[in-house]
Amino acid sequence: MSTPRTTAEAPAPVGRSAHRVSTRALGWLRRHCELGTLPPGTTSDMADPDSIYKPLGETALAASLVLREGLASASEERTARELLDFAWWELRGGDMLYERQLRYMMMVDPLELYAHFVRAGYRHRRLEALLDHLGGLVTMDAVEQVPNRRLAVANAARLTGLARETDWKRLTDATWLGNTPEPWVIDWMTAYCVTHTVFHITDWGARPGDLPPHLEEYLQLWLPVWLDIWREVQEWDLVTELLIVGSCLREPYADPALWEELASVQHEDGLMPRDGKEVEGDAAQRFRDHHHPTVVAAVAGTLALSRAARR
Amino acid sequence: MPNPDTPSRTDYTAAVESLADRVLGALRGAGDPAVVASQVDEAPDPKVALAAVRVLGPDVFAPALLAEAPFGPGDARAVAESLRIFPPAPDAAPEAAWRDWTTVRLLARYGGGSPGETLTDTPADTPEDTLGVREPTPPGGAGSPGSSWRELSLSMAQLSPLALPNVDGPVHETALDRLRDLSRGAARAMLRRDYPTAARLARWLACALHRGARPDLDTAALVRHLELHCGGGGRTALDTAVARGLLDRTQPQRPGGPTA
Repeated sequence: MSTPRTTAEAPAPVGRSAHRVSTRALGWLRRHCELGTLPPGTTSDMADPDSIYKPLGETALAASLVLREGLASASEERTARELLDFAWWELRGGDMLYERQLRYMMMVDPLELYAHFVRAGYRHRRLEALLDHLGGLVTMDAVEQVPNRRLAVANAARLTGLARETDWKRLTDATWLGNTPEPWVIDWMTAYCVTHTVFHITDWGARPGDLPPHLEEYLQLWLPVWLDIWREVQEWDLVTELLIVGSCLREPYADPALWEELASVQHEDGLMPRDGKEVEGDAAQRFRDHHHPTVVAAVAGTLALSRAARR
Repeated sequence: MPNPDTPSRTDYTAAVESLADRVLGALRGAGDPAVVASQVDEAPDPKVALAAVRVLGPDVFAPALLAEAPFGPGDARAVAESLRIFPPAPDAAPEAAWRDWTTVRLLARYGGGSPGETLTDTPADTPEDTLGVREPTPPGGAGSPGSSWRELSLSMAQLSPLALPNVDGPVHETALDRLRDLSRGAARAMLRRDYPTAARLARWLACALHRGARPDLDTAALVRHLELHCGGGGRTALDTAVARGLLDRTQPQRPGGPTA
């Protein structure tokens, strides 16, 4: 009797793994969205904006990109629309964003959240009038921010159609990535800065051509290394964000084996674990801990599928 | 009960580190120039010292190649003796076979001839003149064009003792052809804080610079960081010093560029 030969099977095509990841992630977000409801009586003075308010914007981002890319099934499109409706309802049809922006003029999150809804066709005219007004103040250019946040604001303003002049080159040059530094010096936090720099310049992969050629070249060279080292230590949230970067390049970078691994790391119900640690706690705890990576998985899968389909 | 007269693994490791330290000293122009001969002569167990000579392989010639330190007949005899006692295995991995091949040819160059000839010009190129060691096939990782940057880097790290001036061959061609992948491997090693591997790959980057190529990493900054780190023991210090030696014999790399 001969011993069966074990041959390494070729990984599934990126499109298949990516579709699996995004569909399951979107389903999980829909089934659990009620866990992300703002407590009754929440006002724009919320003590902890990171707990519920900002995740609503992240959900809206994922759902808006599903609709933008236009490759989802009718049922997935319906899910995406329901998620946007849910989040918009929670933000009281945008009134919450308006009140927060009026009260805290230098905060940028109301505009950033709003842009995701604008992408999907939601509008709040008074908020836009307020943003127009604030955009004319000197303070807007003087506000002290990390460089990639300025790009976030610039992209949100671009999406919203605000008449603001943006010097994209100057903003890009101010970021860590914009300086194409020594790739071996990067740390975990800076890696997130790199991903967001790319997300905002390219509007989450809608404008790959807007990434300056020297940054495209730099990322083509070093992205595989960064993916490799953070995959090794199972930083799945960051790995998935870096995979989005791959989909934002002019020449997309997608490693089928890594996509297959990510699909295997994702739970059957669609939850994407933040990292390699045990997923613990009740549904509410899991939602708090793993909502972000699951949003990122939905975005990453949607964009990778889209880029694979258009090649 | 272990035999107290049988050298332990620790003895061998210590001998390798000790020889690496001595080679490093010679590279820096300090200490006894007859590195290999003295190491073997002074060793409590010469066989263990000869094993260390085999482990360091072509690196025992680094002071001669980089610092024009003398490599005397005593040194040559010690290297020949190490090859006699620990002959190259016919079924050795390609990386080990290439290190042996290079050691043997350097020995032929320094066994009686004068230093300064390039390895490929050495007349002792036939298998008969190289103690029966035949030219290996190109190493799997490094030689196959389809290997990934990680496979290549792993293989080339094991081949780092070949990254010396005036030593040439297919492995060096591979290093130049796939410099981009070696840069990735070096960055990966640094990020994983695997400084021994980073130093080995830095040698290849410095070697490429020495030959006029331009790696995708600021190699001088990388080597400086490794020097300041000073971790990883004698062999890593030696790898770093060889990289430094290659850089010092190279025109400065233009700073900046798109992929600094």
